[in-house]
Amino acid sequence: MSQSLRPYLQAVRSSLTAALCLSNFASQTAERHNVPEVEARTSPEVLLTPLTIARNENERVLIEPSINSIRISIKIKQADEIEHILVHKFTRFLTQRAESFFILRRKPIKGYDISFLITNFHTEEMLKHKLVDFIIQFMEEVDKEISEMKLFLNARARFVAESFLTPFD
Amino acid sequence: MLLLDYQNVLIQSVLTERFSGAPPVSIDQTVSDFDGVTFHISTPEAKTRIMVSLQIRCFQELLRYGAEDVLNREYGPYVVAPEPGYDFSIVVDLENLPADKEARDELVKKISLLKRNAMAGPFEQAYQEHYHLKAEAAKFTSEEAPQGVREGGAVKAIHYREEEAIYVKASHDRVTVIFSTIFREETDRVFGKVFIQEFVDARRRAIQNAPQVLFRNDPPLELQGVPGVKNTGTGEIGYVTFVLFPRHLTPQRMPDVISHIQTFRDYFHYHIKASKAYIHSRMRRRTADFLQVLRRARPDNEEKERKTASGRTFKVGS
Repeated sequence: MSQSLRPYLQAVRSSLTAALCLSNFASQTAERHNVPEVEARTSPEVLLTPLTIARNENERVLIEPSINSIRISIKIKQADEIEHILVHKFTRFLTQRAESFFILRRKPIKGYDISFLITNFHTEEMLKHKLVDFIIQFMEEVDKEISEMKLFLNARARFVAESFLTPFD
Repeated sequence: MLLLDYQNVLIQSVLTERFSGAPPVSIDQTVSDFDGVTFHISTPEAKTRIMVSLQIRCFQELLRYGAEDVLNREYGPYVVAPEPGYDFSIVVDLENLPADKEARDELVKKISLLKRNAMAGPFEQAYQEHYHLKAEAAKFTSEEAPQGVREGGAVKAIHYREEEAIYVKASHDRVTVIFSTIFREETDRVFGKVFIQEFVDARRRAIQNAPQVLFRNDPPLELQGVPGVKNTGTGEIGYVTFVLFPRHLTPQRMPDVISHIQTFRDYFHYHIKASKAYIHSRMRRRTADFLQVLRRARPDNEEKERKTASGRTFKVGS
């Protein structure tokens, strides 16, 4: 793990643990409704201050807490065109399976690549520290996966090109 | 499996079976090949007379560039008038096959190379043109050569797919082959760029004697004024240039070089698709891993009520 990644992930982990303090809260505007306040945005007094943790200009995490839900958006590093395509494909692949991921938001927040939405119902059903573990592990592996795919693509391209040109030799 | 075959495997297997001495049967089979080429293997008159027909988009262009000579040279005695709807037909009589097995295999091979031979016309013509120009150029020093010799021959365009074409141009010291290729989507374009960059670099790194490969998104200078070449400026169309040097242009190497360079476009796109498929399966696996991690967040089901052997229940601890 690189020198700057560890404190970055540590900061995300602590902030998430602190933010994941959710309670059941029925809507104040619509009777008998119970919606994630961070999405509905109807009562400003139950929204908390959003927090951005940035490793550098290309990698950052936005945490938007509220009384009964929290939204986490991740911007994944994209150094060039290839990484951009790979990130796009990969996040699309995940969001299409949002049903089985429970906490994955179907559409990322503008300016980010992937978003999670955790409500009080999730924290009641699942273990909070394991949810945080999941987010952290996701952030770690997604970078690794993207760079491995890129390396694979380059290696394959090189091999393919050389085998095509060898018969001319 | 890495390099594509030059011949059509289906034709090869059908004919090998028929030529092996099995009792004649009637055949009616349509075979597809790369670049929208269609073959039709049939027995229209008798079970012993097998007709193989070829349909190819750019046949008129190929004829103009000397495909007829090549086809007549290769299939001379077998050529018949083309079947309606097809461009070129040959008929093989099973009762008149060569006696020994080797010659029969040779014939099968030759027929399965029908597409390659049809496409070879312009390339062979470019080779001849190159030899001619080389002989001409030898008479002059490089400065005072007349315009025609220095410039080289005209560009031969083969529009072998709907939106893609091969351009061949001969000059006294080289033959240039340009493929225009189109990328349907953004991913293909980016992957294609990675692949083509490696083609460009391969010569510098490993294979010094390979043809020079160049890539650009706007038409190269050789294609200026060629009808049908337009600069869309969107980067959707790529132009891949192969420069064949005299060491590739010897008569001995001609058949292999022509066969091999024809497969470039299909080979290139085949590997782009293959990489995409691999990356897709990899993402699928990784997604399953993530789901596994998330599942760990769910606490185990609460312990079921325990019973003693006599059937009494009790609560643990607390």
